[in-house]
Order: sequence, then C-alpha cells, then structure tokens
Amino acid sequence: MNVPSLYRRTAAGLVIVALAATGCSTKSSSDNSGGTTGNDASTGTSSGPVTLKDGSKVKLALIPGGAHPYFQPWKATAEQDKTEFKLADATFNETGEWDQGKQNNVINSLAAQGYNAFGIFGVSPTDINSTFEDLKSKGFVVGSLASCPAGDTDSADFCLSTDVEAAAYKAAKAAIDAMGGEGALVHLTGNNVDSNTQRRIAGVRKAIAETNGKVTELSVITDIDTDLQTAQKAVADLLASKGKEIKGIVTTAYNPAVAAADGVATSKLPIKVVAIDDDAKILSAIKSGGVAATVTQNPVGQAYVGGWLLALLGSKQCTMKTPGVTVDSGSFIVTKANVDTYDNERKAKTVELQKEFASKLSCQ
Amino acid sequence: MSAPVSETATAALQEPDAPIEAPQGGRTPWWANQRIGLLILVVALSALFGVLRPAFFNQQLVVFPLLRDIAMFTVVGLAQLCVLSIGHMNLAVGRMAAFSMMITGISYDLWHFSLYAGLLVGLVAGAAIGALAGWVIARTGVNSFVVTLALDFLLLGLIPLVYTALTDNAAFVTKPPGMRELRNYSLGDVCIGNLCGSPAVPQLTLFAVIAMAVVGWIYSRTKLGRELLMTGTSVKAAELSGIPTARRVITAHAMSGCLAALAGFMLAVSTGSIKATIGEEFMLPSFLGPILGGTLLAGGFISVWGTLLGAALSSVIRKGLDLLGVGLESLNIYLGLILLVALSTDRIRTVLSDRQGVRKR
Repeated sequence: MNVPSLYRRTAAGLVIVALAATGCSTKSSSDNSGGTTGNDASTGTSSGPVTLKDGSKVKLALIPGGAHPYFQPWKATAEQDKTEFKLADATFNETGEWDQGKQNNVINSLAAQGYNAFGIFGVSPTDINSTFEDLKSKGFVVGSLASCPAGDTDSADFCLSTDVEAAAYKAAKAAIDAMGGEGALVHLTGNNVDSNTQRRIAGVRKAIAETNGKVTELSVITDIDTDLQTAQKAVADLLASKGKEIKGIVTTAYNPAVAAADGVATSKLPIKVVAIDDDAKILSAIKSGGVAATVTQNPVGQAYVGGWLLALLGSKQCTMKTPGVTVDSGSFIVTKANVDTYDNERKAKTVELQKEFASKLSCQ
Repeated sequence: MSAPVSETATAALQEPDAPIEAPQGGRTPWWANQRIGLLILVVALSALFGVLRPAFFNQQLVVFPLLRDIAMFTVVGLAQLCVLSIGHMNLAVGRMAAFSMMITGISYDLWHFSLYAGLLVGLVAGAAIGALAGWVIARTGVNSFVVTLALDFLLLGLIPLVYTALTDNAAFVTKPPGMRELRNYSLGDVCIGNLCGSPAVPQLTLFAVIAMAVVGWIYSRTKLGRELLMTGTSVKAAELSGIPTARRVITAHAMSGCLAALAGFMLAVSTGSIKATIGEEFMLPSFLGPILGGTLLAGGFISVWGTLLGAALSSVIRKGLDLLGVGLESLNIYLGLILLVALSTDRIRTVLSDRQGVRKR
C-alpha cells in the first residue's frame, strides 16, 4: 500500500466532500416541510362523512413489514380500494424484508413516486413512530395497519389493528376450555424482541392467571416464526421431550400454528391445539378435529377500511377528530361449529369498523 | 519486544505462504484503478436510475435517506476493514453493535446520560467487546472466524435476556435531547452567514466522514497503521521486525468493535430507538463494502475510499431497484447480478491493464 498517497487522497477527498456538502445552497429559512402531496380537498358539503367524494388525487400504498402469508389479502384489497374508491393508484409493496431501515427506504421511494397515503405495518413497533412523524411532517397521510406503535403515543393518523394481547387472551381461553380447564399449557410464538410478542405473552399469561393455578404455563417458546422448518423442528423437539406432560398448545404466530397442527396430528398425542389465522391447512385441521380452535384476524378489513379512511384523509374530505386513535380490527374464534360461517362475522365487523371510524371523523 | 502470546497469535493469523501482491497504483493506468472504476459505476448507475426515474434525485425522499444509508454502511464496512487489515474476520460485527447500543440504551434509560455521553459509553463498550475478541484470538490461537462466531452466539443469547429484563417493549425508547434532530437535520441547517450546506446531506454523514478520516489517518500516517498492515501481510515478518503482533490483533479488533458501535448508533438514530435487533443486517454489508472497494481478505491492504464506494454501489443499486418497482422476488436477483457484473468488469479492466503493461515492456 502506498501509504502517504492514500492519506493525501483521503484528505483531498474529504475536503471535496465537505466543500460540496457545504457549498450547495443558500439558507432557506426553515426546512422542507413542503409536502409533495398537493391534494386539494374535494369540495362537497356535508351529507355524511362515509362516502368518499373524490379519490382521484389519492395514491395509496399498503406496506407490510415484509413478505408473510398474513398480508397476502392486502394485495387484492389494494386493487379493490383502487377501483371501488376510484383512486389515482394503489400499490402493495412487501419488499421491506422485515428490516425497519429497508422498510423506511421503500416508503420514501414510494413517496418520491407520488404516493401520498400510506397504510403501514411497521417492522419495529418501537421505531415506527419516527417513520410516521417523518411522513406527517411532509404532508402525507398515514395509517398504522395491523400493528400499533409501542407505547402510549401513535404518531399516525390512526391505528387499525388486531389487539394482539386481546387476541392472545382469547386464544388462551379457548385452549384452556378445550383442555377442560386444567393441565399444562405451552405457548408458541414469534420474535421475542418484538413488543407485540411481549403483548401476546402477557395476554396468554392473563388467561392462565384467571384459572387460579389449575392451568400452568409449561413454557413459552419464542423466535420460531422465522420459517416453517424452524417451527416444525421446535414442535418436534417439544413433543419428543415433554409431549406427555402437555395438555394444550396455544400458538400466536403463523408458522408455529401450522407446525403445531401438523406435529400433534402426526404424534397422535391427546394435545389440544389452538392456532392462529385461517390458513387452509389450519381450517382443514379444525374440520378434522386435529386443531381445537383458531383465532383469525381481519387482514381484509384492515386493508379495506384502512384504504377507505386514508382516501378520505388524503383527499382532505375528512380529518381525524383525535389523531392517533386506535381501533381493534377484530379477532374471531373459529371452531368446528362455525368454521363454515366465521367469514360472515368478519365481514360484519368490517362494516362495523367503517361506522366506528365515521364517528371519529370530522368531514366537510 | 514480542508479546508473551505471540506464538499463538502467529498460529491464529495463518498467513499465506506467498507474499501478497499489493496493487501497484503507479504502474496501472487510471482507468484500471478499482476505486475509479467503482466511482464511475456508481455515477453511471445513478445517472441511469435518474433517467429512468427522475424521482431518484428527489433530495428529501431519496438522496437524503440514501446518503444516510451509505454513511452507515461505510462505517459498518470500516469496522470489518480494521480486522481485514490483519487478515482476520469479525463475524460478530452486528452483534457488537447491538451490545454497544444496549449499553448506550441503558445509559439513556437508567442513567439519563446525554446523547453524546451515551454514544461515548457505547463506543467504549464496543471497543471493549472487540478487544475481548482480539484477546481471546491472540491468547488461544483460535481462528478469528471461530472466535467471533462464538462471540456472536453468546451475544445473541445475552442481549435479548437483558432487554427482556430491563424493558417493556424489547427496546430502549428514551430519546435524549438532540436525537430526533440528528435524525432529521441536514447540512442545510448548518450555515456560515447566509451560506448553508446541502439539505440533501444528512448531518449523520459527518460521523462517517470523521470515521473515514480517523481510519485513513491511522493506516496512512501512524506507526500503528503500518504495523497493523504488516501484521496482516506476514505475521512472522512483522514479529521479526519487532512488532508486538498479539497487541496489534487486540487493537484491530477493538477498533472494529468501536466502529461497529458507531454504526449501531447511526442506525439507532436513523430508525428511532435502540433495540435488540440492531446490527442484524450488518454482517454481509460489512464485507461487501471493503471487498468491493479493494480491501484484501487476506490482510495487508485496505482502502477507505473503496469501502465508501463499495457501500455506495450496493445502496444505489437497491434504491434504484426500489424506485423501478422491482418486486421482492426479483430484487435480490437483480442486486446480485449487477454486483456480479460490476466485479466482472473490474476484473476485465485489470486484465486489460495487465496486458497493456506486458505489451509496453
């Protein structure tokens, strides 16, 4: 290595960078808050806040944290939003790869391309408020979909999400009922260092605590939602080592749910499994009796109502009376008894959600 | 002057038999210079993406976050560069960042430190954990790959435990005064009289500029830098020259840990909080930047500018593909293909340059 020349080059380069960086503009009093949205409100008068008058200037982006089966219904619903609300455009982008930095890049890229209304599932609940603040400061409208920011503050216009603690509580209650109200329960879930996982753990523990010791939590197995193979291995290990002690398994993440349903069916152990979501495998396991129940969420409702609401806000037709309001998008227990009809309940909830939000809007 | 652990350090370093042929900048034509090639590629790709999507030059929404990413990945690359300079690897570079930021987070949350006092604590913690890795390598003679891999696993278990014990949301959410501003402010907010910097350049990039300047200065102007490079080129020769190689191993790993901590801080500031998953995405980019930029895996030669350009290349490609709306299924394929083409053209340039050299002789 030519040492002195390297130093000279480094020094010269840094000087150039510094000059370029400092000499590029003259002071423009305050920064940049100018939005690129440029949406004018649709004018109409007040004949009920629910009907969108003009969505033609709204470009909607629905952005999950990364690829996951849960979010696949958002793709079709984004198209539905576009045609039904006559939006300028609607897109679904799942390239965040479960990294907050990458997701922020995706959001910024879409904003640069003219998208002005964002429905976002934040990768990191503790970071996502910063992203929301950035977007709001630039004049965009933002909804937190399927997950709310951690803590008491929500910097988005609204949050429409499953109350994960309530859903986990419901799932654990269903598992405890299936177990006959006593025995050892195992909880399988996702990423331990995610605040939503901590809320799910709290929900399950709350249900267990209500049994006054009749049900015990044998273990909480975290970090097995990365892929199906990881979950299958964890379930196989669990059943091999403690299968006979376990009376119930409650799962609050997708891959562990599929793996537990398969694992228990294969092992033929008399373990009651409560799953999450309504994957075809899980639904068929419910029909065959292999899975006692599942807790489904409302991804279509989140994307549909979220899109509608963002269009109302983005077109300036409405504003939130209280920005940052949180609404539970619903969670539904599905058993053999209602496996063929639960979707009706979910659709009814979606309609109810629109009404609930209508009361939280202030419209022209 | 040899350190007591020098023999094991020698074993750990496993230097190649043949001396490394360092690039000889003086003989190669300018167009065959790897850094210039990379610079041209970065500029050409930026221009291409800009033509295809004019939004690529949007200062606020594209250039600002892009430069913030490049700055952070440059520091990540420099963290790896320090150990590459002695022919080692640091597979725990991401987890060292997470560990350091955990200490920084504790200092904000529990001890109520200011932004920069917390950063300082994190840098010291990073240097300490790096020095520990270096000490184990020098002491035991075990390959750096194995030691840092083991350390990575150790920290992978330890960090979530601490977060679960100390926080409600698996993150330290206390934001000391100045953190939000550091995230959003640009050089446009730095003015001398009426003349201000560019609003497209985040203030966070200054950390990368300082890190580049310090690392560049150490390797080019100080005895320490020369000794590190000599240790990387040949441990035996370095020891025979009186260089305390074991201490240099510890120093290189401490520098690596310290820079990993700085990168972790930049990530924490730019995303918003200090959480256990900081640094999870660091390992591959940490190699990508320096290696693309010409730093040798075998040690003995580093390139600070190359690291910046390597980091810039991968970030520009990713941002351009994002803007082109390339879907997840194809994004990484294109990213890999473009990098492969970039490296191949670099190799073609080198071969052409060598042939030209032979003809002249």
